[in-house]
Amino acid sequence: MRGFHVYILLATAALALVFADRLSSYWMHVAIIAMFYGILASSWSLLAGYVGLFSLGHMAFASIGGYASGLLVQWYGIPIPLGMAAGVALCCALGGLIGWVCLRMSGPYLAIFTLGFAEIVRIILATEDDITSGMAGLHVQRLFDTPSRLPYFYTAFALLAVSLLLLGGMVRSRWGLFLRAIREDEQAASASGVAVARFRILAFAIASGFAGLAGGFYGHYIGILTPSLGGLDLMALLVVMTVIGGMERLPTAVGGAFVVEFLLEVLRGYGQWRLPLFGIVLLLTMRFARNGLLTPLWLKFVQLGEPQAAAAIAARDVPQKDPAQ
Amino acid sequence: MSGGAELVRGAALIKRFGGIVANDAVEFAVVAGDLVGLIGPNGSGKTTLINMLTGHLAPDGGDVVVRGREMTDQPAHVYAAMGVARTFQLTQLFGRMTVLENLLVPGLTRPHSTWQVAERRARDTLDFLKLAHLEQLHAKNLSGGQQKLLELGRCLMLEPAILFLDEPFAGVHPRLRDELIERILELHKAGRTFVVVDHDMESILRVSQRLVVMARGRKIADGPPPEVRTDQAVLAAYAGL
Repeated sequence: MRGFHVYILLATAALALVFADRLSSYWMHVAIIAMFYGILASSWSLLAGYVGLFSLGHMAFASIGGYASGLLVQWYGIPIPLGMAAGVALCCALGGLIGWVCLRMSGPYLAIFTLGFAEIVRIILATEDDITSGMAGLHVQRLFDTPSRLPYFYTAFALLAVSLLLLGGMVRSRWGLFLRAIREDEQAASASGVAVARFRILAFAIASGFAGLAGGFYGHYIGILTPSLGGLDLMALLVVMTVIGGMERLPTAVGGAFVVEFLLEVLRGYGQWRLPLFGIVLLLTMRFARNGLLTPLWLKFVQLGEPQAAAAIAARDVPQKDPAQ
Repeated sequence: MSGGAELVRGAALIKRFGGIVANDAVEFAVVAGDLVGLIGPNGSGKTTLINMLTGHLAPDGGDVVVRGREMTDQPAHVYAAMGVARTFQLTQLFGRMTVLENLLVPGLTRPHSTWQVAERRARDTLDFLKLAHLEQLHAKNLSGGQQKLLELGRCLMLEPAILFLDEPFAGVHPRLRDELIERILELHKAGRTFVVVDHDMESILRVSQRLVVMARGRKIADGPPPEVRTDQAVLAAYAGL
């Protein structure tokens, strides 16, 4: 049966929504944070996995989105969703600008440039005490006036679902094809009629917008924002999540975010030692499973009920040498 | 020249790389229906000229005109939209995309194209190139000759007015080279215009109706192959006479 995996996913999502109230407050918080990282991982996957733009500035955009929304709500008393939308718009514009500046950069140059950008953002947020409250943290109005985490769970769920629908629609469209072509060979993509500069800027703007959305939600959920949200530590964690899951597919990137976030909690008893453990898993992933640990599982999952598709996908990687050569 | 409408003109094109003048005021024009062979020793500036005529390199001097429109400094995708297609000296495919997807990329950049139409055209093109059985394979897994054919197919998906083929026969098995020549001649017969760059003189002479020779960044001969082959400047450039 075609699309069997979609029914399974929908059933799982429905079960999660129905039984969410049975989660303890602690695990509900873990689930909400996992979904926050899920939005970030899927949007970073668009940039790094689909277009091949290894940006280290993604958490900086989450930070910008969060601070922009928090400050706008605080200063002008606008509704929180409007503040979050403004944060998303600002991140799209800034992301597009960074994309334009980085047009001729790739690989380590792009990584270093975006890392520099992230540090600039972090330092500005830390030093502009009068506006951002610096390292003491900016108190942000919470999204719901209730001590329950359940409304936040549903909100995070909805935001992740909408993000995946939009990003999924994009990568399955001709735009997705063009983005992958750019990742494979920019010159050949250009020769094939793809407006490489336009699509690189677009990818940066869209991915940054989703990061801003995640950051806005995070601020209005936690109720306080510190500059460390955009720091290298969390960016490294995001890279670990996405790469371990599989950065060339949105579901595996989100799966990586979920697995790593839950393991971080399960292994909390090991203190700081759990972090080197993830480092080792990352190294092993890069060495032995560059498409991520969850990708083979995902491929098997999507092939459920489609034996012919399974054979076709497996055949793609078989070298086909011409008998004459 | 075959007397058709002018498709591409490079006027006094100059390109320098550091102290080296790769193209020194080169004049080059192609008219509809041409099948031009562009030859010259290594480092004579052939690929640099193609790169400028297809938007992949901005000239330091001179102009590029495509179908009457001034194109200098336009990006390569604008050239592609104007019907200028090209292959690369070292085959450049979308390696981790399937053979079919490699053709869908240019197909879907065409105005008003739909997935359905692009897919149908891609499959027709694969049939024409005898690659249909490989459509679900990743392009990186094709043999060298098959990759050259697929690159030609990618050009065809642009419905180009002119195709620049940069060393299409290099490193290709004789059987696949014959296949490639056959396809080029067939397409030319159907009205396509070609500029073919290569070192393989035998293959070039089999396909070209007009031969252009470059040496040290300059065009030194341009005319029918029998005349150019006996040109003293050409002999000197190749044999150091």
